[in-house]
Amino acid sequence: MTLLLDLNNLSRTFGAHRALKDVTLQIPQGLVGLLGPNGAGKSTLLKILMGLIAPTSGTGRVLDVSLGGDRDTRDNWRLRRLIGFMPEADALVPGLKGIEYVALAGELYGMPRKQALRRAHEVLTYLDLDEARYRAVEDYSAGMKQRAKLAQALIHDPPVLLLDEPTSGLDPSGRDKMLHLIRELGSLHGKSIIVSTHLLADVQAVCERVVILADGELRGVGTVAELCARRDDYYRLRFVGSKEAFEQALIASGLTTVKHAAARELRVVLPAGRSTLDLFRVADAIDVSLRAVLRDDVSLDELFRQTTAPEAA
Amino acid sequence: MTNPTDHLLRYRPWKGELNPPVYASWAMARSSLRLLFRRKIFWALYALALMIFFFFFYGQYLVVWIQMQTASQTVNFGAMPVKMSELTKFLDKLNLNGSPHTFGNFIWFEGYVAMIVLALAGAVLVGNDFQYGSLPFYLSKPIGRRHYVLGKMLGIGAFINLLTTIPALLLFIQAGLLYDWQSYYIDNYLLLLGILGYGLLLTVVLSLLLVATAVWVRRTVPLIMIWSGLFVLCHRVANFLVEAQNLSPLWRLIDLWNNLYLVGLWLMRADPEAVKLGPQPEPWQAALVLAGVCIGSMLYLRKRIQAIEIVS
Repeated sequence: MTLLLDLNNLSRTFGAHRALKDVTLQIPQGLVGLLGPNGAGKSTLLKILMGLIAPTSGTGRVLDVSLGGDRDTRDNWRLRRLIGFMPEADALVPGLKGIEYVALAGELYGMPRKQALRRAHEVLTYLDLDEARYRAVEDYSAGMKQRAKLAQALIHDPPVLLLDEPTSGLDPSGRDKMLHLIRELGSLHGKSIIVSTHLLADVQAVCERVVILADGELRGVGTVAELCARRDDYYRLRFVGSKEAFEQALIASGLTTVKHAAARELRVVLPAGRSTLDLFRVADAIDVSLRAVLRDDVSLDELFRQTTAPEAA
Repeated sequence: MTNPTDHLLRYRPWKGELNPPVYASWAMARSSLRLLFRRKIFWALYALALMIFFFFFYGQYLVVWIQMQTASQTVNFGAMPVKMSELTKFLDKLNLNGSPHTFGNFIWFEGYVAMIVLALAGAVLVGNDFQYGSLPFYLSKPIGRRHYVLGKMLGIGAFINLLTTIPALLLFIQAGLLYDWQSYYIDNYLLLLGILGYGLLLTVVLSLLLVATAVWVRRTVPLIMIWSGLFVLCHRVANFLVEAQNLSPLWRLIDLWNNLYLVGLWLMRADPEAVKLGPQPEPWQAALVLAGVCIGSMLYLRKRIQAIEIVS
């Protein structure tokens, strides 16, 4: 099966600043979350994937189409036609009605006028904007604006959707609806979707794979389950005794405790080579009675913080 | 549990041939027309422009009618008998006779309305793209910066021609019908080409300059102020410098509308001695200034319309 992304040593510099550093990545088709803090290189990667800027070095392909740089060439048009882009900014055209806005997007992609109009009706109906299609886009609510932007990205039925902060500014119900649409487009309609977001819960809710970038480097890639499993073991400890003393004893024995634990609990990381028996030994040494040792899955949120922390580099 | 989208029409795939990017420019031009036609102020300004057109239209008819029908008659103003032909003397300044100066004068006067319409068009069609972040919508599509600028220029060009070239062509047709139409159209085919050339010149120079200024200032009121400065203030300053201060006629080159007028008259092969205001620089000098304005606008647009603005 053709890879969604096949990037080899992709780098991009802006003057002295290296925005992207030797990113090598092979991602199969499907739903992909692109995570990273501000300045991680996400935007630069998106621009390169869309053929808006050229990589300084390295090569890459999106669905087997070469990255075209920023040149006005047939190959670059081919690349952009593969991708439906939903920008984070409002990106609406004030004064146009919903149907005109989406049909115009179709024509900009190169669709014939009548087909673009017909397709705009279909897509707006699919996205539950059929009753609002004759209203001016600037009068839409936040949720409607997001769906209108998704509609303009879907108009030419691209195999790849690139969604930049798709749930930004939405209320919980609008967010659920948007995430459901993204899942449905991916699972039922075979779209490969790259979701660039700061909201980890969104990625966890819809994405099969995650790409984590920080400081222009690739810090993690894989399925959500793989990434969470590729960590040290986390345990939640319930005990009777002094919390401070137990924590200090654990640290002294070379283990790491994690913040974000309940009042009478400790969370501890067991690196490879250490076993839960060590926990009992430490507790026994300071006369703490361990009542429960529970395996504690790390959240994507924690994984993200660990992966993108400066010391993780 | 039902899904939120269960009641919706199912998503349907689309398979079809996609057109080359130049079609996108045409689509942008059509949506530009739609955006401006929806504004009441545009129709009010267009009505004003039509009044100028009808003044020339009926003026041209009146001059011919008076010459043909009542030139030898006299009318009494109080006790004073006045020849009918004398009554139309005030119209002579406008050259309402189907000559190149008729069309030069017409476009000159239409320029006052065109300036306001274009400032409005610039703010609505280009300024809004920057102010409301619509640029990513356009440039994330398979089109280049040149297609975006071409699309906007086509839209703005349509308004320029609606205000100038098309009414001028109607006046040309009318002039032919008022005189001996066969000889008028045959003798003046170069004039017809000149009118079309003048229209093309206005379209290229004004649309490029407008897109560049709209990218720069973005809002309607500042755009009108800049546009007024370019076409009214510069005109007044040029007049003051040349006529009141007796400086070189080259100072008139700061007046863009005058430069367009001079090159337009040259394209229509008008008598250079009969231009509206004298003394004037040479048409080629005016053409050089206009070329400079176009090149400057293109360089500015190349710098400002960056595809990388799409992803913030």
